[in-house]
Amino acid sequence: MIEDRLLVWRFNRGDTAALCRIYEKHRDGLLKVAAALLSDKSGVEDVLHDVFVEFAQSTGRFRLKGSLKGYLAICVANRARDRNRTVRRRDSVNLDGVLPQRADANRPEHVAMSREFVAQLDTAMAELPDEQREVIVLHLQSRLRFREIARLQGISVNTAQSRYRYGLDKLRSSLNSEVRS
Amino acid sequence: MSESEKTERLVNAYLANLPTPDGAEVDGKVLAEALTAMQQAKSQRAADTSRITWRTIMTSRAGKLAAAAVIVAAVLSLTVFDGLTRSTWAMEDAIEALKDFRAVYLVGAFPGGTAEVWMRANETRTQSTDVVVKGSHGTITWTQDGSTYHYEPSQNTLYYEPALTLGMAEWLGPELLEMLSAADNAQTVRGKDPATGRDRVMLLCSLIDVHGAQSWIIEFDAASKLPVAMKQWPNLDRSGPPAFDAFKITYYEDLPDSVFDIRIPPQAKHVEKPLTIPEEAAGILSDPHDGISAEGMTQQEATEKVVRALYQAVIDQDLDGLKTISPLCRNWGDEFRHKIIFKPDQDNRIVEIVEVGPICRTGQSKLGPIVAVPTTVRLKNGKKVEEKMIVQFRTLGGQSSCVVHGIYGLPRQIE
Repeated sequence: MIEDRLLVWRFNRGDTAALCRIYEKHRDGLLKVAAALLSDKSGVEDVLHDVFVEFAQSTGRFRLKGSLKGYLAICVANRARDRNRTVRRRDSVNLDGVLPQRADANRPEHVAMSREFVAQLDTAMAELPDEQREVIVLHLQSRLRFREIARLQGISVNTAQSRYRYGLDKLRSSLNSEVRS
Repeated sequence: MSESEKTERLVNAYLANLPTPDGAEVDGKVLAEALTAMQQAKSQRAADTSRITWRTIMTSRAGKLAAAAVIVAAVLSLTVFDGLTRSTWAMEDAIEALKDFRAVYLVGAFPGGTAEVWMRANETRTQSTDVVVKGSHGTITWTQDGSTYHYEPSQNTLYYEPALTLGMAEWLGPELLEMLSAADNAQTVRGKDPATGRDRVMLLCSLIDVHGAQSWIIEFDAASKLPVAMKQWPNLDRSGPPAFDAFKITYYEDLPDSVFDIRIPPQAKHVEKPLTIPEEAAGILSDPHDGISAEGMTQQEATEKVVRALYQAVIDQDLDGLKTISPLCRNWGDEFRHKIIFKPDQDNRIVEIVEVGPICRTGQSKLGPIVAVPTTVRLKNGKKVEEKMIVQFRTLGGQSSCVVHGIYGLPRQIE
């Protein structure tokens, strides 16, 4: 948090090294957020590009309220939502070939989850309303508190929590029906 | 494990497994273009800045415009001028004369050196937003984006604090006048300036606030009815050398952003300034009858409860409740408390507690742990303001309890 504030301070003074550091620090997390929210996974890089270019243009006048991680994650979520509106949601999930994948075999959860189940969850996530998916991803992936999500999205904390709860319920329901069929 | 927890676990695993583009490949496209965009924005901004014109007030007026001397009193929050006289004979004219000015520059002496101070108010001129203090030994203290920074060149270290702990809680204007007229324990002394022979009126005042004991002398020119000098001491009886003695003051309609654009060596160490309260506050905060019990509660729960109780007392204009929750208030006169905190007739009085946020900072005092917590409140005029409050935890007679020490930094309007 403190490092981010100092980075923003340097960034506002035109320090390109600060922008590089901000980018390096948040890139991977934001790519995950974009990948989880976009219907068309090929747009992940474009979303990150748009967010960082716009952020870079704000040098000298950027005002940080709350966490930088939260701010950038919300920017990604907003971009992803806009993009989803213009791109028809895919009918099927293809995890092969669309993106170069980064193997992270050291993480146990990576090994534990089958590709088939990832595909099931991917489909279930894609079927969620945008606002529910966003809260789930921002809370679980970006580790944002409901309070911060609510503030950044201009909704109440209760609304954010409800969206999260309803989203999880729908996911569970989708996965259960998938298993039964 | 509940069904929700199981689903959360699955989603977490899904997110961890989610394929993403290779970072190295993304960097070439995204970062390169972002850096280009930043360079272009910098060039455009530099061009815009050079076109900014601002008018400097002629120096012949500068000597009269000394009210800003109060700025060096750091953040006095709710209590800025407690102790000033009811005699506002000079202040109305002074503030009227100063109302067109949004920025100020002053030079003064402190033990061991001198300092220059630049300060600018927010757009609505309710409080300061940008402050820079440059000491003669190269130290720089400044505010930016809601934080306060202090650079110590001898250590090549930048100390950081995520709150506005330098500046004026009330900019020169009607609210400040209201404060001055509400204070009740100051003295007014008349005399002549031995250097010029001109008549002078001096206001002597003192108080204990969130920054500890402080006292001032603010000197007005009797003819112009404008303040011309100020001294501040870190005690109640103006003993010893003043902490700051302002002797040159200049006012501006505005100042360019570059004045507040501070640069320090890139290799400087960054250190978070610890959260502290003045040592003398321990005595005031150690009465077991004050505050609320924290037994069986987490720090967050107790903090939220005591802060809510404080603001509810403010909303209800419950003076006794306020004194119990925040014992430091006992140092101030009732009329002052009424006008400055309750603000019964003003649009900027607090009418609703919107949210008490999570603890954002922690520290330690002689009494025990202290925490800072942001609170969002709504004013009668509909605006929302965030104030950070410091809460003191203590264990007295084997019982855990907490009281509100006071505000941490300047409030920030957020909506």
